[in-house]
Amino acid sequence: MSKVEPRAAAPGEPERTPRPVVEPVPLPAGPGRPGRRARLSPARRREAWIGLAFVAPMLALFAVFRFGPTIGAALLSLTDYRLNGEWTFIGVANYTRLLGDDLFWESLGVTAVYTAVYVPMTVLLALGTAVLLHRTVWLRGFFRGLFFLPYVTSIVLAAVIWKWIYEVEDGLLNASLGALGLGPVDFLGDERLVLPSIAATAAWKGFGYSMLILLAGLQSVPREVTEAAVIDGASAWQRFRWVTLPLLRPVLFFVLVIEAIQAFQVFDAMYVMTAGGPVRASYSLVYFLYDSGFKFFDFGYASAIGLVLFLVVLVFSLIQRRLIGRETD
Amino acid sequence: MARLRLPVLLVLVAVVTVTPFVVMVLVAFAPYGGRTLPGALDVTRATFRNFSEILETADIARWAVNSLVYSLVSVLLILLFASMAGYAFAKKRFPGREVLFWAFLATLMVPFQATLVPYYILVSELGGVDTYWGLIVPTLANSQAVFLMRQFIVQLPDELFEAAKIDGASEWRVYTTVVLPLIRPILATLGVFVFLWHWNDFLWPLVIGQSEAMRTLTVGLATLEGENVTINQMMAGATITVVPCLLVFGLLQRYLTDSIATSGLKS
Repeated sequence: MSKVEPRAAAPGEPERTPRPVVEPVPLPAGPGRPGRRARLSPARRREAWIGLAFVAPMLALFAVFRFGPTIGAALLSLTDYRLNGEWTFIGVANYTRLLGDDLFWESLGVTAVYTAVYVPMTVLLALGTAVLLHRTVWLRGFFRGLFFLPYVTSIVLAAVIWKWIYEVEDGLLNASLGALGLGPVDFLGDERLVLPSIAATAAWKGFGYSMLILLAGLQSVPREVTEAAVIDGASAWQRFRWVTLPLLRPVLFFVLVIEAIQAFQVFDAMYVMTAGGPVRASYSLVYFLYDSGFKFFDFGYASAIGLVLFLVVLVFSLIQRRLIGRETD
Repeated sequence: MARLRLPVLLVLVAVVTVTPFVVMVLVAFAPYGGRTLPGALDVTRATFRNFSEILETADIARWAVNSLVYSLVSVLLILLFASMAGYAFAKKRFPGREVLFWAFLATLMVPFQATLVPYYILVSELGGVDTYWGLIVPTLANSQAVFLMRQFIVQLPDELFEAAKIDGASEWRVYTTVVLPLIRPILATLGVFVFLWHWNDFLWPLVIGQSEAMRTLTVGLATLEGENVTINQMMAGATITVVPCLLVFGLLQRYLTDSIATSGLKS
């Protein structure tokens, strides 16, 4: 299991190299503090400079393009910054405006429903194929690669292809349904079908990633445990339900949260397949953010939406860290 | 019977998985107007006409160059800067190391879209709209890359570096002649992933590349969608877009399970 969550566990991992004896040391910034710098041995000081020099390019990039915009987003959301660059501080007005904005609640609802449809769909598909692959030796590598294939393409490409597959006239799905004497079904034009249809496209595109992680999880289930269950006369389903699944729980949970975080940021597929329609039935939170920022150039407002998105993702991440931490303790 | 079921199921899922690709290619090579399936399935009448037409209507060649520049330059620079930072975080003691590493990692929790607006304002204030550097440079601050590099380098025994230093090699020389060759596997894996992330990236290139000439293939494909383009031409464009992914995917195959499952790589 431990193989799968370095992302969550690593920050808490104890440092392997011992801490410098003289910590805390000020950043070796200026010659103005000779007293404290003198406490570092020349060799240590040299090492510190070299370390900083090697981090410097990445640090500069992070300072300007990560830390900056993150703080900027928070500050911007408290202003009425628009395209002309003029702004005034308006406090939490953007947030109170959000609370009263039907579009915001609508897009939040669309995103929540989409997530609720997409996550089980993808994870079940991933789990099913992982179990299938785990139990076969026949061309396993080939199938694994094949199932992973859609993952390496872009969601835009998936959206373009599937948009055609879903078309009412001549689309692959409706042509097939027609041959069976069914349909036609307006997959993307029906308000109730549009989110499941987009979710299915995204699931097709994305399940390979979770499949690989689950497959690794399955392979780390000790053989003796399942063999013992076989000896006890457990059926294949019983073995899966009572032995494999509980052991797989941390990995399964990791995959669920990762996919939920992914789903909550949905935009590309909707932009290409439906343009948010019909009647905003696929108008997601990020779509709302995009429109506010880049169609109406309401930058402050768009930043406030961004902060809501951040908070949701943060909650998902914290739940994940907490639960995975507990499982591995 | 039970022994037969598994392969049958596998083949079934495999068929569903590849069908969209197969129809994409069939429709891309189908004769004009052959958008319905029986027509598209007639392989004997396959033609390159849709490809030549879409190359004429849309500036696909230029978009492909943009995508290549965006992806390849990013791969090179991210590999360089992230391996340097990873080396320092793993093997050098310097003040603020822990805090910085944490700060880098913490940015993973901030979804890109949440900071899209200040990002755009910053880059546009710096004059980066519709430029290659505006497209590329902001995406180089990649915390997953730094994290991966550090995790990999930390496992390498210190003696390797010390031996080189005793021989009188400079730090930069140690980095280029000892560190880089040792981390080749992780460089390859990460390189493949960064390429795919950037090749497939959508939102940032959409926002920052405002003129038609600065679109990437993915963005270009999305904008073609609304225009007067036949489905056959569209699928020809899609086929062109997917080919580099498949090539890079061929490279990735070897590393597939280990690297993805152990590192939690996801853009």
